[in-house]
Parts: sequence; structure tokens; C-alpha cells
Amino acid sequence: MMAATMAALSPVRPFFRFLILLSVLFGGDAEPLEEDAVLRLVELARAGDRAARQRLYRQHVQRVFRTVRGMLRSDAEAEDVTQDAMLTALTSLDRYSPRSGTRFAAWLTTIAVNTTRRRFRRKRPELTATGELPDVADPDSDLANDLDLARRRGALLQALAELEPREREVVSLRYGSDLNATEIAAQMGMEAANVRKILERARVRLGERIEAIAKNRGATA
Amino acid sequence: MTDTEIMNLWSALEPTTRRRARIEDRVFEWLDASETSIAAEWLALLKVEPLTAFAYATVGAVALILLTPIGWIAGFLLR
Repeated sequence: MMAATMAALSPVRPFFRFLILLSVLFGGDAEPLEEDAVLRLVELARAGDRAARQRLYRQHVQRVFRTVRGMLRSDAEAEDVTQDAMLTALTSLDRYSPRSGTRFAAWLTTIAVNTTRRRFRRKRPELTATGELPDVADPDSDLANDLDLARRRGALLQALAELEPREREVVSLRYGSDLNATEIAAQMGMEAANVRKILERARVRLGERIEAIAKNRGATA
Repeated sequence: MTDTEIMNLWSALEPTTRRRARIEDRVFEWLDASETSIAAEWLALLKVEPLTAFAYATVGAVALILLTPIGWIAGFLLR
């Protein structure tokens, strides 16, 4: 199976390696790829191409962190879950089948959500997210930007902490992983119509809370 | 707030550069370690710490040689 895959890829591999190299050199790792390009990276990574595996990782790691951060109480927990989920995904690439109609990002999100749920089972979560500041300032940003980011982050985390766990999971999948209602429904074993209702309700509540928090801070400042 | 506004706001949850680097280091260190054979690990240790590698190998060999008679004597005494 592996030999057949490698044989099928052999004429195109140098070309894609060249594309990957160009992309890394010009900062293309951060640019989101089309699904076809992601699938080619998956094939290359399965065939043992380390550069492809790294590119695949860099394409998705932030999305995974954003998603699980919305569900967990701290950055440290999100870091652990992201690490575990990325490791599980990269060592189980053979299990991913695009024929089932699942996008790679959705498959990866399933792994991340399952890892998060395992963590919830082990330890009772405390819904007291208050928007801690980033542990170390980003060397590329200035103080004003850091403060603004920390404020927005704090408001979002505080608003998220007030949602029901199921609502938090749904909005994290929507806004963290950019999944649509059908993909979220498949993930959570619910009807898509039900997901849309929860999303709409949670979006309104989130918006109201974030605006109220921003007003309060403006009044106290 | 609109869907797009919340989507933009969500980007504030992204990890810091340092945190991202830390996750990447751990993931790829683990992957590299899992793909390195024990023989290659021993060779690397031999290059970096020849004396330690030799000591580990000696202790391992002695333990293997002594394990069977010690187990046999212990079993005999416990009867």
C-alpha cells in the first residue's frame, strides 16, 4: 500500500518538495492552503516526507490551539492538548481517509476535541477563565498592541466562561476551527439544525457579554 | 456582533510565538525520537559520552548475566 502510494507520488514529489521549500522560505506556512494541497501534503507526509509533515503541522497547529483554548480554562492546558492532538494526528495519518468526505481540518479537530474530552473526564474543569495575559510578550509586537490583544482576549474568555459547556464547544468549533454547521453536527452527534440554533443563541449572548465587558472597562478606565 | 467580528476576535486566542515554538519543539522532538532506532541512539551516545555508553553497556551485560542465577537463588530461598 505504502509502496504503491510512493510509486504514484514519485514523479511529482520533487516538484512538491520544491513548492514546499519556496513556501517555507517566503513565509507561506502561515497562508491557508486549499484542501487539494493539504491532501497532497498528507500523502507526502505518509510517504515519510518530513518537510511535508512539518508544513502540515504548521498549517493546522494554530487552528487546533484556538479551538481547544475556547473549551479549556488555561493556556497551559490548551498547550498540552494541542501537543497531544498534533502528535496523535501526525502519527495516525494512515487512518485519515478523504474518501469519507471529511476535510483534513475536520478530522484533526475531531482528534483535538476527543483529547480535550479525555482531559475533562480526568479533571473537573473550573469555568473561571478570566483572560490571563500571554505569559511572554511577542517579540514582534508593541506594548499598545499587546494591551489591546490582552483586553480583547480577556473579554472573549470571560464571555466564553459564562456559556454552557455544549455552547462553548459549538462556538469553539465554529470560530476556532472554522467548521460549518454540518461538520459540527457530525462531530457532536447532533442535527445540523440544532447546531445552527445553538450557534445563533451563543453568538448573540457572546456579542452582548463582550460589549458589556468592554463598556464596563471603558467606564472604569 | 456579526459572525465575522467574532471570527476576527477569536484570533486573539492564538498562542504566543514562544508558546507556539515550545509546542513545535516538543512535537518534533517526540516524533524524531520515535523514529530513531535504539542502535542509532547508542551510536550517538557513544560519540557524545563514550565512557558513559561503555558503563551502561557493562552494567546491562552484568545485570543480564547475574539475573538468572539471582532469580534462581531467590526462588530457592523463598520456597
